[in-house]
Amino acid sequence: MGEPLIGLLLLATLFGLLAAGVWVTFALVGVAAIALFCFTNAPVGLVLATTFWGHSHSWSLAALPLFILMGEILLRSRLSRDMFNGLAPWLGGIPGRLLHINVLGCAIFAAVSGSSAATAATIGRLSIPELKSRGYPESLVIGTLAGSATLGLLIPPSIILIVYGVATEQSIARLFIAGVLPGMMLVGMFGAYVMLRAVLNPHLIPRFEMRMSLKQKLWESRGLIPVGLLILGVIGSIYTGIASPTDAAALGVLLSLLLAALSGVFAWQDFFDALLSAARTSCMIAFILLGAAFLSVAMGFTGLPRNLAAWIGAMGLSPYVLLAVLTLFFIVLGLFLDGISVVVLTTSIIMPMVLSVGIDPIWFGIYLVLVVEMSQITPPVGFNLFVIQGLTGIDILRVAKAALPFFFLLVAAVVLITAFPAIVTYLPNAMSG
Amino acid sequence: MRRFLDRLYLAAGWLAAGCILFIAVLVSAQVMLNLATRIFALPLPSAIPSYADFSGFLLAAASFLAAPWTLRSGGHIRVSLVISRLPDGIRHYVELATLAIAGCLVGYACFYIIVLVGESWQFNDLSPGIIPVPLWIPQSIMGVGMGLLLVSLIDAFVTTLWRGTSFIQHTEEM
Repeated sequence: MGEPLIGLLLLATLFGLLAAGVWVTFALVGVAAIALFCFTNAPVGLVLATTFWGHSHSWSLAALPLFILMGEILLRSRLSRDMFNGLAPWLGGIPGRLLHINVLGCAIFAAVSGSSAATAATIGRLSIPELKSRGYPESLVIGTLAGSATLGLLIPPSIILIVYGVATEQSIARLFIAGVLPGMMLVGMFGAYVMLRAVLNPHLIPRFEMRMSLKQKLWESRGLIPVGLLILGVIGSIYTGIASPTDAAALGVLLSLLLAALSGVFAWQDFFDALLSAARTSCMIAFILLGAAFLSVAMGFTGLPRNLAAWIGAMGLSPYVLLAVLTLFFIVLGLFLDGISVVVLTTSIIMPMVLSVGIDPIWFGIYLVLVVEMSQITPPVGFNLFVIQGLTGIDILRVAKAALPFFFLLVAAVVLITAFPAIVTYLPNAMSG
Repeated sequence: MRRFLDRLYLAAGWLAAGCILFIAVLVSAQVMLNLATRIFALPLPSAIPSYADFSGFLLAAASFLAAPWTLRSGGHIRVSLVISRLPDGIRHYVELATLAIAGCLVGYACFYIIVLVGESWQFNDLSPGIIPVPLWIPQSIMGVGMGLLLVSLIDAFVTTLWRGTSFIQHTEEM
């Protein structure tokens, strides 16, 4: 059988298994096992057992449950209320006013949590009722929330960057730092879009009723200090190289516990809930990673990705053309698959191809996260849409429509980092060590 | 039986949660130790021996032990887009087929994990750190987790076959 045919056959099997509702991790393991059985002489069972063991106990992966736990703890604290009270008084003079709560709140929560669904849930639980009761238009409230919550994936700590870093053996610290500037750029773009909408249709935005003196404003903002320190502590310790991401994550758990305990609403029961919930999420992600690792090893044995890379290399494609094709491919894939699955499929099959045309793997990680962010807000499968539907009862198609402008802003961000790669690479290159 | 199995999965889940707590405590202790020795120059040992190895082993234990409960509570990701639109009769068989496929794969993995543990035991494989740990110990915990996952998949298959409905909760509201 010709190699392209084998590749297509395996891909069809994979999508068949996924469509039939086989859990992502078992679909990956299944296809890998078929590839090994049919097209190589490798001892399938032993390869499976050693891969599962070898990829399940890494030190850098230990950052995963810790960062998840940190987010779970903060989710149960008074953080979102403090952020609302601290940010709201300052936004009266800006076009779009309180809508910026969604953008800034998500950006701040993204800096203490690695998940966009958690970001949408935490900020939305408070901001949707508050904004709606003040008369802000529903489509803008939901759209800004769905769009801004995708920042959870990009702004460090980021679960998906840990997955990418572990799967491709890139430094997680550098990946985290690489996400900082593009994250800030997106916050700026989202904010600018809100202002533009407000300037074009001033009647959309209700009047601002919070009149406070500067002193009062500053006093209301005191709630932002602990979370600010937490963010500085975690990201700063990684950037300066004092702590590895895993160390920083443990520190983050400790500080977030302190912060939650001081807020006065965090009971032991919340702590246990957070722990069990972290165990569950971390297990789900670890299993997808194990399935992907086995698929990567199997693909290594078959040599398919290597040949695919050579084939692409021989075509003499420019990286821009390749990226354009890949972006389209990922958007389609992202319509049906969740972000982590998209990332692990990429790392097991497409990575050699990307490296062969000379694309920097750190840059590619950030690019991939931006594309995955788009998949969070596109129907039929988009986790932010599910979360917001759960919060408001609004149909996901309407949520998706409200979030559509943010999809295009993400596309624009991909174009920007492709044209100016330094947005991604400047900070990691400036890092010590 | 139903209650016993559910308690078993949940108990393994709590063990996993305990492992994560242990990682958090261990790594935090190391960070504190770093601060104490580097910044305040206290006369303490500068590292907890093999703390990175132990964190890794605890992580593996957490991931595998949490697996059955994660499955039961619908935590593992799957694409339900297609099957949720199938007529009930067909969906029942597709559901059984997916459980059978997953069960066979996990069973196969379990068998070879036992082989792996056997080899580690026989050759007395040790972890390379300052405190050498016989690898069969953490590997056996992986085996226990995968074994329980197999039990939960068989449980799911049998329940689905009997009752006609899946016992696994829906994934979509994550």
